[in-house]
Amino acid sequence: MGGDPQSSTSRCVDDDAVILVVDDLRSSRLLIGSVLNAAGFTNLLFASDGIEAVERLESEPVDMILLDIVMPRMDGFEVCRQARGRLGLNIPILIQSGLQDADQRASAFDAGASDIVSKPIHAHELVSRVRLHLERRRMIDSLQTYQRRMEDELRAAESMQVSLLKSDADVAAIAQPRGAALTTFYQASNQLGGDLWQVFEIDASRFGLFMVDLSGHGVAAAINAFRVHMLAEARRRDRGDPGKWLAALNDDLCQMLSIGHFATAFYGVVDVAGGRLDYAAAGAPPPILLEAGGEWRPLDGSGLILGCREGVTYDTHSARLAVGDHVLLYSDALYENFDVPEESLEPHDMAALAREVLTSATGADFHQALINRVFADEMAQRRDDLTLMLLEVTGDV
Amino acid sequence: MDYRCETRGDRFLVSISGVLTFDDHEKFRQVVAEIADCAPATVELSLATTRMIDSAGIGMLLLANDKAGRCGKSLRLSGVTGHVAKVIELSKIDQLIPVD
Repeated sequence: MGGDPQSSTSRCVDDDAVILVVDDLRSSRLLIGSVLNAAGFTNLLFASDGIEAVERLESEPVDMILLDIVMPRMDGFEVCRQARGRLGLNIPILIQSGLQDADQRASAFDAGASDIVSKPIHAHELVSRVRLHLERRRMIDSLQTYQRRMEDELRAAESMQVSLLKSDADVAAIAQPRGAALTTFYQASNQLGGDLWQVFEIDASRFGLFMVDLSGHGVAAAINAFRVHMLAEARRRDRGDPGKWLAALNDDLCQMLSIGHFATAFYGVVDVAGGRLDYAAAGAPPPILLEAGGEWRPLDGSGLILGCREGVTYDTHSARLAVGDHVLLYSDALYENFDVPEESLEPHDMAALAREVLTSATGADFHQALINRVFADEMAQRRDDLTLMLLEVTGDV
Repeated sequence: MDYRCETRGDRFLVSISGVLTFDDHEKFRQVVAEIADCAPATVELSLATTRMIDSAGIGMLLLANDKAGRCGKSLRLSGVTGHVAKVIELSKIDQLIPVD
């Protein structure tokens, strides 16, 4: 095997990485320094024992450490442990060790070394390993930078998405004068998602509830949710006629969504004075009507999903509403359990849970209480957005 | 999700097993490619052993149906039960893809 440092230097360009060479023998430092210099590494720092090495690491940024093991005052293992532990450095640390000493080599890795270079120094191997580990570190750094940037952008997009949603006060200002209390909950999944709810004023006595879930996850679903939001806000005609309104939205979405993308939706018109909820749905989880008297029933959430076929009609259904009734709207994340499909909740499970939770938590507190009741591990990252809307018919106008 | 393909007489049978979700996007591409490449003009997508499907999974079925149509083939769904049957009933995708 060739040990000629020239074979490495001939194909190198200058590298500005800061490399700290730690060795108690001046002759070793000089040798390593000249090998690295010849290979284009010019930002070299030197330390003659462990204490000095740690002081250097504390005072200036270093990209890599080349470390001898046996040194006075503090040995290489301890430098390595301090670098990884107290100093929290994740830079490559190459430890020099004799090939024959297997225990020592194992201890080096235990202490946090990235790799071992054989001692006595073999120029070609040393330069190759230094390059390899610097390259690896740079790749990790660039991936981490990229990931941080993406996370920042996703957070920014998520807060834009949340800002589309009306405030609690705005929602109350629409619902309360029309004889209802309405509270909402929205939590994005770890990826961006495509859930969206909206509340519309229709006339002096009625208001509209809209809940939509764009298929898939991530940026595409979120962008489509933005577009649906704009379409829904702009479509003022027929807001009092759920079937017609949903059919028109479907036609818009057919133009907008690509094949394989669609939305599920529920649109209801709350008319407390008239004692009714008129609604139309497109593959939405069936909302649950909890009657004041203790009975419950699911509303019909079925209907062709939006954005797949133009010209589809949607039936308008009607449910009677009385003072004291509650209607719970929810996205599929509330009941679908993809880890244990058999444990997915059925509408009657949710009706029972909602009824139970309502005995101790009402209004805005209801949502978190229901979530705590449904999900054993509240800190677990959900795979999908979770949206809840709770309507209570108060009758107070 | 796992899948198995076989030609049975004049139809091409694709069986999907497990849970069909967003995470299966790459794998389902292979299913769509198999549907495009198969010889029979009738494709049956059996969901008899599919335990659960999410909205992305429904989207994949729509993509498969679109691909089959573009290749002059007809796609049908079969064996829908349990959660899958409920999702299909709710979303009415039997209006888009025939369900046996």
